[in-house]
Amino acid sequence: MASNFSGVLQLTDLDDFITPSQECVKPLKLDNKQGRSVAKIQIEDDGNYFQVNQDGQMHKLEKARITLNDCLACSGCITSAESILISQQSHEELYRVLRQNKVMPSHNIEQKVVVVSLSPQSRASLAARYGLSSSDAARRLTAFFKNLGVHYVFDTGFSRAFSLLESQREFLERFSRKEEDKKSLPMLASACPGWICYAEKTHGDFILPYISTTRSPQQMMGSLVKRFFSMQQALEPQKIYHVTVMPCYDKKLEASRPDFYLRESETREVDCVITSGEVLKMLEEEGVSLNYVNPAPLDTMFNNMCDEELLCHAGSGSGGYLHHVYTHAAKQLFGVEVQEITYKTLRNKDFQEVTLEKDGVVLLRFAATYGFRNIQNLVQKLKRGKSLYHFVEVMACPSGCLNGGGQLKPVADQSNKELLQQVDELYRAERVSAPEGDARVVELYRSWLEGMGEEQAQQLLHTQYHAVEKSTSGLTIKW
Amino acid sequence: MKDTLAILHRLSAHPESRCWYVAWHPLGALLASCGGDRAVRIWGKEGDDWVCKCALSDGHQRTVRKVAWSPCGHYLASASFDATTCIWKMTNDDFECLTVLEGHENEVKCVAWASSGHLLATCSRDKSVWIWEVDEEDEYECVSVVNSHTQDVKHVVWHPTQELLASASYDNKVCIYKEEDDDWECRATLEGHTSTVWSLSFDPEGQRLASCSDDRTVKIWKECTSGEDEDSTDGAWKCVCTLSGFHGRTVYDVSWCHLTGALATACGDDGVRVFKEDAAADPRHPAFYLSAHVPKAHNQDVNCVAWHPKEAGLLATCSDNGEIAIWNYQSDA
Repeated sequence: MASNFSGVLQLTDLDDFITPSQECVKPLKLDNKQGRSVAKIQIEDDGNYFQVNQDGQMHKLEKARITLNDCLACSGCITSAESILISQQSHEELYRVLRQNKVMPSHNIEQKVVVVSLSPQSRASLAARYGLSSSDAARRLTAFFKNLGVHYVFDTGFSRAFSLLESQREFLERFSRKEEDKKSLPMLASACPGWICYAEKTHGDFILPYISTTRSPQQMMGSLVKRFFSMQQALEPQKIYHVTVMPCYDKKLEASRPDFYLRESETREVDCVITSGEVLKMLEEEGVSLNYVNPAPLDTMFNNMCDEELLCHAGSGSGGYLHHVYTHAAKQLFGVEVQEITYKTLRNKDFQEVTLEKDGVVLLRFAATYGFRNIQNLVQKLKRGKSLYHFVEVMACPSGCLNGGGQLKPVADQSNKELLQQVDELYRAERVSAPEGDARVVELYRSWLEGMGEEQAQQLLHTQYHAVEKSTSGLTIKW
Repeated sequence: MKDTLAILHRLSAHPESRCWYVAWHPLGALLASCGGDRAVRIWGKEGDDWVCKCALSDGHQRTVRKVAWSPCGHYLASASFDATTCIWKMTNDDFECLTVLEGHENEVKCVAWASSGHLLATCSRDKSVWIWEVDEEDEYECVSVVNSHTQDVKHVVWHPTQELLASASYDNKVCIYKEEDDDWECRATLEGHTSTVWSLSFDPEGQRLASCSDDRTVKIWKECTSGEDEDSTDGAWKCVCTLSGFHGRTVYDVSWCHLTGALATACGDDGVRVFKEDAAADPRHPAFYLSAHVPKAHNQDVNCVAWHPKEAGLLATCSDNGEIAIWNYQSDA
């Protein structure tokens, strides 16, 4: 059975496919209630459990429930995460919300405002399948979703500007304290949830200080939609159903993190993540070809666009973190205006290095390491104190996000390599924009973020990581 | 059966523990063993006796499951349930832990060096097979992590001359890997065993692979080459012979002697068996017969069989009772 998760997660036991009832090792937290020490437990015909005290009194016992968050916080099987995810975050769930919206008025319950945020990698993947340009695919997907009852369609390329700007700022701050804080550098990119999950589970407290606290584009959009947009629309956050379309299954795990849960309104910043492949499934289920959908105008609020065409960011297909942090740091720290970046391929194509030199001295040494094998060598180098890098763009998937596990699979007689090249070309065909050049981003920083104080702005744009304690259970030994 | 398997020596190698594996040094003067006592021991002959020359007991926190000598004989790798693999460097008669390979999520089950000595493979209960590259400065870097098995991977073995790797798993399958476009990938999956495949051994030329299993059989697989078979593709492997009915319990290990072509097995019924190939059989349908059998070779499970690399007929075995036994196999044929 092949798992959908990235290879990194598969290695952390994510794909065992055992259900919780079979082999879960999660010790359940129960509220211990004071009581007599002797009791009998009786199982009724309907499957309910009752505790029978010595005096014959009976009371119903609570069922132990294991949620996705329990699974994610456990170093045991985790596996069941898959089945829980499929039920909580799938296109079926989106359909359910849309259906409910349609019958709501007659039931006198308020409708939810449904927002879909499309990732640039997903629209490139779907554009390749239908022979469209990336922007054209976005306009047609906007029409497709709106016909289904979705209210707004946004672009996580817009929220990515915040991720890139915050990464640049965070890097300069870390660089300035590199002498007194040995764990300030290298700064490791944080946009890839597969990598984050692996780091938390496997290398915990050792590796986490190096990881950038900047939120990923998906979770930046979560902040924008559930905190800014909701305020602006005078809607409570739980009245908005926020769906993202991502190239990656691991993004479902990211959306489920407790860090991105709004406790006061009992809602997640991103309610549901569906993959590019799941959107294809929706199109197929509706019997719709994107070629025959009339394009709709893009929503102007959260789209990185200019004259009805979407824009992209420079650098890798994984968001361009290395590119943006590098050029910014070169300019701010050393006054060097970088015109072109030369990537040097090291051990394999997924391990590349960029250096800034002046008079034979290396001023900045950056790397992009994709795929588990390269992550492994990076972590081991760090552990041995042999890493020379200032910044590393880390991604769990070989070839990065354009090749994410949630992207469309090649059609007959197409190789994965050919498809990837096509998707890459479509992704890069969009005009490059500088994140600091987007007037609306600048305006949001000024009007929304600066108005609320540094601490709260930090909370909206950054996150934190949590080491997972290893539990070793004697039950799991096999010779 | 006119052929004989005679006991030469019996050593209490890992007392009050299990002896999991033994490996001959490529020159044959030393034998390394490992066990449940977390130790690796190096044995050498002094006069007529085998004595422990060295004990490496500070490398691992848990059971040491396998040991392997590098082809040059200067390095020893040990794979442990503590999720690490240690690389030991031998200088004169002393061993120094050079590096610890970390990365597997849990128990490392096996380690093997490629014939070039530049590549190393490890496998684990985490279902993955890792390939490591060694550079001139003794630095190890992971070049690939392959997840082709769906269960615990029990064994890895390299082709005797080519950069071709085989692995055996609890998922009843054998996988064959090759490098492709700067990464390693599974090129063939050998299905046929009906239970865990415990070990593998290539024949002297590397044309055939023997696998042994919990299903009590040994299977011989042959690489198909185009032209030979109409319905086969290059790189595919086909089962050409199954040795069934010989073993009373799980077959834990198989070793193909590169000097004589004899095939030895280690069995959970405490027996050690040696098979010979029937020279008269059609090479496309090879046949093997039981040439020698010691039913109670050890008083517990036999875990490993290893043919001496230089001296034909010399065989080392080890067992759950912590013992190593050294045998002399003689054949009239």
